[in-house]
Amino acid sequence: MDKAEIKSRVEKVTAQVLKIDPKEITPNANFAFDLGADSMQSIELIAAFEEEFNIQMDEQKAREVQTVEVAVDFIAGYLK
Amino acid sequence: MPDTTAAPAKDLEHIFYPKSVAVLGTNRVVGTVPHDIFANILRDNFQGIVYPVSPKERSVASVRAYKYVLDIPDPVDLAILVFPSTVCNLALEQCGQKGVKAAIIISAGFREIGGVGIQREEEIKAIAKKHNISFIGPNCLGVINTDPLSHLNASFARKIPAEGNIAFLSQSGALCTAVLDYAQAKHIGFSKFVSFGNKANINEIDLMRYLKNDPKTKVILVYLEEITDGTELMSVAQEIISETGKPILVLKSGRTREGAAAAASHTGSLAGSDEVCDAALKQAGIIRCTTIEEMFNNAIALAYQPLPKGNRIAIITNAGGPGVLATDAAIAHHLSLAKFSSETLEVYKKSLPATANIKNPVDVIGDARADRYKVALGSALQDQNVDGALVILTPQSMTDIENIAHEVCNTVGRFEKPTYASFMGEKDVAVGINILQQRSIPHYILPESMCKAFASALFFKNHREIKPEESVAFSNLSKEKAASVIKNALAASRKYLPEEESVTILESYGLPTLPSGLATSKQDAEAAAERIGFPVVMKVSSDDIIHKFDVKGVVLDIRTRAQVGEAYDSIISNIAKVKPEARIKGIYVQKMVTKGEEVILGVKRDPSFGAVIMFGLGGLFVEVFRDVSFRVAPIGPRSASEMIREIKAYHMLAGARGKKPRDIKSVEECIQRLSRLALDFPEIEELDINPLIVNDEGGGCYVADARIML
Repeated sequence: MDKAEIKSRVEKVTAQVLKIDPKEITPNANFAFDLGADSMQSIELIAAFEEEFNIQMDEQKAREVQTVEVAVDFIAGYLK
Repeated sequence: MPDTTAAPAKDLEHIFYPKSVAVLGTNRVVGTVPHDIFANILRDNFQGIVYPVSPKERSVASVRAYKYVLDIPDPVDLAILVFPSTVCNLALEQCGQKGVKAAIIISAGFREIGGVGIQREEEIKAIAKKHNISFIGPNCLGVINTDPLSHLNASFARKIPAEGNIAFLSQSGALCTAVLDYAQAKHIGFSKFVSFGNKANINEIDLMRYLKNDPKTKVILVYLEEITDGTELMSVAQEIISETGKPILVLKSGRTREGAAAAASHTGSLAGSDEVCDAALKQAGIIRCTTIEEMFNNAIALAYQPLPKGNRIAIITNAGGPGVLATDAAIAHHLSLAKFSSETLEVYKKSLPATANIKNPVDVIGDARADRYKVALGSALQDQNVDGALVILTPQSMTDIENIAHEVCNTVGRFEKPTYASFMGEKDVAVGINILQQRSIPHYILPESMCKAFASALFFKNHREIKPEESVAFSNLSKEKAASVIKNALAASRKYLPEEESVTILESYGLPTLPSGLATSKQDAEAAAERIGFPVVMKVSSDDIIHKFDVKGVVLDIRTRAQVGEAYDSIISNIAKVKPEARIKGIYVQKMVTKGEEVILGVKRDPSFGAVIMFGLGGLFVEVFRDVSFRVAPIGPRSASEMIREIKAYHMLAGARGKKPRDIKSVEECIQRLSRLALDFPEIEELDINPLIVNDEGGGCYVADARIML
């Protein structure tokens, strides 16, 4: 799966979980500060990404991911 | 609003009296901290403007929300951060760019979780420093200001408390909500209510300094889990008390002895952190409380009633037993039962039943109604021999609780003397208690608590009247000599100074020492003993031996040259058996004093309060009896005198049972000289003079044994 597809699916999942307009999601957007993810939604996001990409992420490391751009790279690492 | 002419270093004015507030990270989910903080500000009638800042909400509680604080078109005085800790740095950075100068960081997940949390806290501190932002928190409940000019409830407490004249500062957020609930039930109001959490920027000292000038605050309560800067805390407390007369009450948790267990000296083991804290707070005039209940018992007495002028109390009761209990408690707290004037007794004879006890405690008898309380209390408060009154009531079938409560309130209002009440029981007396509390008459469930509160108010009044004391500037000190000994020891990485070096240091500060010498051979010892004059004491001198008695390294009462030789051999042989690895520098020969009282003097370097001086009954059992007193240096003549008079064994020194009084003046001087030494040499971690032998009055005292730890 290429980066562009991962990015597109990350944006789709983020918009669904946080109930926001996908247009607001930029690569540098911080999940909590810019997109308004609270602590519960941060956990929901991790679960939703795992389901979307059929991967099992290290939860501790996943929770350190703050922006959409870093999330794309982080997920890409599991898909290699 | 407080007088801002003497503006505090940190911007607390914008914390308590902001004209505009932004809540960063709020949301629409009722029952969550980010939502409820915003809702509380809105609901509780904040007098300024409040802006919700929410990354994804268009509005919160029907108020237009902004995505970023930078989007708010108007200036923002105070930012309240409720974002997850991971992004508080981003939020605070934007606050800085916006020109916000004050913040409250509610979010948890900082220093208190260790590791990455410490890094986060350091990062927000750096951002705040860069933009000159003063902030409360992180990890706190928030701030409440009940002043109608602001009426800010920037917290997630369930409700804003009533306006009052008590300020409450707390390191624990969770305790705050419990205190608010407790206080509400007792009709206790607050001026300011602050949970300061990790105190990464604004701490209790900044807040106390601000409250000094807050006209809405009469009494300051502080809950602390750790005292970071004890010296500064003492200093600000003394400043507040002397300049404004506002009492400060501290509830300090963590009364542990763990720190003391590892200490090497007697002073170290006796001066545990809590004992030192206790003494230091008292020295500063702070009333230390052990429970929340005790804190509020004292606070309402100080906040609602005038201070007592003296310790003479009148007890008015309708029940004999509780009157006796109150009397016992009063005496235990050094109060005295007032002796009524003949005029008062005459009124009582005429107005009270023949069966009433008209002497103090005044028993108005179980069937008393409001009229008897009125005459008993009114006459007592009018009496020049009475400094305050304690009213007790138990609910009999004919006791008119409600009217008595009203009568007590009405009567108290006519006099400038403190009056407290204890309506004993719970259900039936509730109506009366409610009246008393609403009309600011301090009420106590038990008469004992009432007496304790009166005693605390009296302690504060007495402390206020004490003038600050100056330390004596002793002229005959040789700082250079002491410095040279310490420098040499440090250069050789020696932590424990042997007795001869310790004595040299003490001698250079004018403490009276005994003739002595260090002998490195038996012949040396014999010559030294003859030079000093018999009897003598011989002690091992070694950097490796702290407790000489424990290794049989001391021989007392040596009276002949032959005994000197025997003692020398015996000590060398004992050390070889008990502690063979010890490096012996020699045998210390010292004049032996056979008469006098043994006391202990010591120094302990406390991490929070600095140099602490200890005085107590000395000798081998000092740690068993623990009859000691403490003061933080510097110590002047009055404090030195108080230290001696505080211990139980003082009577032994003062001349009990026909014995001659000891030379207390000379001990007072030693305490002051030791205080000077401790301040001049922060390298001294612990110091013991045990014993200091005190002769009869006029005969002075002598350092018989000493050790110093660097």
